[in-house]
Parts: sequence; C-alpha cells; structure tokens
Amino acid sequence: MTHVYLDKLTKVYPGANEAAVSDFSLDIPDGELVAFLGPSGCGKTTTLKMIAGLIRPTRGRITFDGEDVIAIPAEKRGAVMVFQNYLLFPYMSVGDNVGFGLKMRGVDKRTIRQKVQEMLELVKLPDISDRRPNQLSGGQQQRVALARALITEPRVLLLDEPLSNLDAHLRDEMRELIVSIQRQLKVTTVFVTHDQEEAVLLADKIALMFEGVLQQFASPDEFYQRPISERAARFFGGVNFIDANRNGNKVETSVGNFVFNAKNSDNAPEGDSVLTIRPEQIAIGHDVPNGENVVTGRVRSRIYVGTYTRYKIAIDDCEIEAIRSADLPGEINEGDEINVHFPSDRIWFVPRNSN
Amino acid sequence: MTFWERWRIPIMLAPTMAIVIILFGGALYYGFLQSLGWQPRIGNTELSLDAYNNILFAGPQTEQFWRGLVLTLWVSFASTFLSAVLAIGSALLLRQTFVGKRVATFLFQFNLPIPHVVAAIGILFLFSQSGLISRGLAQIGVIGAPNQFPIVVRDSLGIGIILSFVWKEAPFLGVIVLAVLQSLGEDYEDLARSLGANRWQRFRYVILPLILPGLLSGSVIVFAFTFGSFEVPAILGVRFPRMLSVTTDRFFRDPDLNSRTEGMAISMIIAVIVLVLVFVYQWLSRRAIRQE
Repeated sequence: MTHVYLDKLTKVYPGANEAAVSDFSLDIPDGELVAFLGPSGCGKTTTLKMIAGLIRPTRGRITFDGEDVIAIPAEKRGAVMVFQNYLLFPYMSVGDNVGFGLKMRGVDKRTIRQKVQEMLELVKLPDISDRRPNQLSGGQQQRVALARALITEPRVLLLDEPLSNLDAHLRDEMRELIVSIQRQLKVTTVFVTHDQEEAVLLADKIALMFEGVLQQFASPDEFYQRPISERAARFFGGVNFIDANRNGNKVETSVGNFVFNAKNSDNAPEGDSVLTIRPEQIAIGHDVPNGENVVTGRVRSRIYVGTYTRYKIAIDDCEIEAIRSADLPGEINEGDEINVHFPSDRIWFVPRNSN
Repeated sequence: MTFWERWRIPIMLAPTMAIVIILFGGALYYGFLQSLGWQPRIGNTELSLDAYNNILFAGPQTEQFWRGLVLTLWVSFASTFLSAVLAIGSALLLRQTFVGKRVATFLFQFNLPIPHVVAAIGILFLFSQSGLISRGLAQIGVIGAPNQFPIVVRDSLGIGIILSFVWKEAPFLGVIVLAVLQSLGEDYEDLARSLGANRWQRFRYVILPLILPGLLSGSVIVFAFTFGSFEVPAILGVRFPRMLSVTTDRFFRDPDLNSRTEGMAISMIIAVIVLVLVFVYQWLSRRAIRQE
C-alpha cells in the first residue's frame, strides 16, 4: 500500500508549444483504485508514464509515502505498468513471462516457479505456465500481463486502458477480476481510460482530464450529481444546460422560475450561471401534478431504448431531454403536452463558459 | 473450388520458380557433373571422385584447400560477427532522437549501393603500408615511416578482407535491425524497465531476442555471401593461404582444362559447407533463445 502524491506535475515535450500535462496535482490515498479519465490525447498516459518513471516530468514532484521518487529510475521505483496491448514477450513461455520481474531481481529459480504458480492461480489461469503467448486468447493474455506485474509486489500498479482491447463479455469478467484482486492485495492502483462507464464501474475515484489539465477529482457519484463544469457534466452524459440567473435559493431561467436546495449552488457564483439537471432526474408525464418547479412542455420526439424511453421536450424556446423508465404507467407520445418537474434537490449549477 | 482458384498461386509463381530451378538447379547439376570429371569437350566422360580425393586428402592442392578453408571460415565468421555487433550498436543509437540524426542515418547507409570491389580498393588505398593512413601517420610523426604501419591489408589473417566486408555488411545488417527496432517501438523496453530490468538486462532479455530473427536471417545472408565472395579476397588477399573462392577461380581459369574438375569440386564443397553451417548457425541460435 502506497500513498501517491502528484504535485504540480507538468510535461512539455521537446519542440511542443503546449504542455501535454500541466500543473497536475493529485492525492491518491493508500490502496485506492483511481481512474485517469479523458478523451484521447488529454495527457492520461503521459501522466501514468511519469508516475512509472518512464517519462521525466518537466516540472513538479511525485512522492510515494512522502518520499520524492522523481530521481529514482523506473526499474527501481516499484511502479509497475501493464500496457494496453499486453506486450507478453513472444519468445518466452507464460511462466517465464510472469516470472520476468523476479528474474531481473535475481530471485532463485525455485522461488520464481512457486510465485509464478501463485500468481497464475490469482488470475485464475493455473494450468497455462508452459504455453506460449500466441496460444492464448486476448483475455488470457491480459490476465498473464496482470500476473506479471503483480508478482513483483509493486508499490503502485499502473494499468493503461486495461479493458479496451477486450470484447464486451471479457471486459465484464476482467473488470471484476481487477477489482477483486485490487481489493484483495490492497495495492494502490491507477488506470487510464477514455471510457466513462469503465471508470465509473472500476474506480473509487476518478481524475477527469482535458488538454493536460485536471478538471475534477471526485467519486463517480459526484461526477453525476455535482459536476464541476459543463464539459465535465457532458462527459458523464449531461445534456441539459439552461442559462440561469440565481438569487438566493431561487433561479430564473428561460424555461421558468425554480427553487432549489441552497447547498447545490456551491459550484457557481451568484447571478449568471448555467442550470443543469440529468435527464433521468426530471419527472415527466400527464400525471405529474402542477406545483412548485413544474412547467409545461411539448414532446418533440421519443426514442425507445428498451429499459427506458428518451424524450426531447420543448419548453418555450428551449429543448430539454428527459428519460423515463419503461415500467412506469401512462403513455407519452410525440406532440403531447405534459408536465415537467425539476426536483429542487436535483438542480445543479455550473459556471457560465465552463466548456 | 475451380481449377483457377486451386492453381492460381502456383501458376503465378511459376516464372520465378522456373528461373530458380532451371538456372540455379541446372548450373548446380552441371557443376556437380564437372566436379566428377565429366567434360566431354576434352574427351572426359568417365565419372569419378578423383578431384575430391585430390583436394581433400592426397593431392598437390590439399594443403592449399585446408588452409584456404580455415581462412575462409575465419573471415566469414569474423566479418559476420563484427558486422552484426556494429549493426546492433549503430541501430540502437540511430533510433534515438539526437542532433544530426538524419545526416548520421544517411552516412550510415551511404555505402550500401557501393560495389564490393570499390570497397576493397578503398580499403587498399586507406590501410595498406603505402595508403593514406600510414602516410598521414608518418607525416605527423606517429610512426617513423609508412612501412612501420602494421600490415592489415594483403595479410595472412585476412584483416583487410574482414575490414572491407564489415564496412559493407554492417550497414546492411544495421538497416534490418533498425527497421525491426522501429517497428517494435519502445514499449517492450519500457515494460521491462517498469518490471525492474536494468539497461543490460533490457538488451539481453528483451531487445536481443526481439531483433534476433531479423538479425539471424541477415547474418545468414552475410555469412553465405562472404564465404563465397570472390572479388574482395582477390584484391585484398595473399597468395597463400587463399580464400576458397579465389582458389576456385584460379582452377577455373587455368589453361589446363582438367583443372576445372578440381575447381568445380571446391565449388561443390563450398556450397555444402555453407548449407551445413547455415543450418547449424540457425539451430544453435534458436536453441540459445529457447534456453533463455
């Protein structure tokens, strides 16, 4: 278990005009599973490689349990990386691949054999030690790569897009395996992904990055309920953004005037801001009673997605999206005039121009 | 499956295969017959192993052959090994980013299209006792006179020949290794680093096994070429011992047409030795990789 601290980590590649990673600070507690999430090219893998010691930061500090590790080379740092495309050594057996890290440390052959078997059992592949990497499926190769990293008992485990090369079924299986092993070994783990769903399902906390800058570091739940910016909200499926003018716990918008819980306004200043609410948190229907925070809208379109239906609703000149469970009684069709309820405890604000 | 679908690839390969089989196979067959003494133009139609016996065991050329074989093996192994070592070192440096990389890469590959005979003459002009280097060193007083410069050209150890081959073949192997390294990228090494491998271990357990298949194929070509190459040892070699290819040429151009039989016998022996050594070389190398 290692407490990892990144302090204003910055990387500018030679010849580049802009920093790939800029003033990135993060506190990763012992034994946590943290996701670096963001679109391609946002600096996630660069940051991961800086933690591993494979890329030297231009500025900033990295500490493991308070010890500055910047000067410690990758081979001695104890931050082991599992690459996206597994990179099993094709000329070695599975057993030799898994035992590679111990061999490099000069551990005796008998101990290596024993530990290799333990690790293969941990990743639920106990009988493949003698096979060659080209005889394994993608999922098996990923597990072997994980075993090869874990055998060295790393201080920090770094996973680069661990599930992106797997099909949907294997992805679920691998996700469960990673979480269960991480919980069992309590190794501080950072993984990189561009898939918001993957981050939510795997991570204790998510560091959202755009253009090399950390946007928000929070639990998955917070990203849904309390996004820091419009862009962060959009990355997590937010679609409703309405210009608003706040005054106390009341807000005026182009779709109506609402009241909201005062604690939901911490993120944006008084006055001009943007109201946001998740589509699944808006209540719609003919049976929604008139009252506070209820306005009338007309259904422009409906898309049936199996377990739920997605509606686009026009309210004056504005259009919002709402999701309604398919199990709920009462039918809503295109063109219907319906009541739309913005629950006061679900309304959230982000600053204007926070794209 | 139609006839065309079934035979399409063999039919398309046929012109190439015909050239290989007719030209190479025909020459080999004819050469083998000549090595057995079959020369109807001068009335020899009886087949025997006399030429092989004369060369290998009890003829006036036996010593020339065995000493020549030792020299040929030495030159080929040394040239191939040194070229491979230089190729690996150069490719490892050239794949990195540094000031003047493009110029360095161009210079490294510059001599690839230059004929071997030009390389041999270049070595002669540079490294002989009357060459540029010896005269230059004498001029600046490092040696008293040009003839004090060590004999590295037209020497019995074949150093000039080896130099010439290395000068030509190191870039050839280097291009192969560089292409392999560039296609692999640096992820394998980064992975090994993160697993605790130091610089030497990364070379020994990661880079070398990954480049070895390409390097082996290239080395086999270099070895076979240097073993049978004629023009470089003809220019840079001594009269005794001669490399086998030069001896073969002497026999072949001897006014006495009976000598061709010995020449062809040596050619056949060269072909067999090269084939056997190539197989052994590959087998040993693959075994070495597996044992790791």
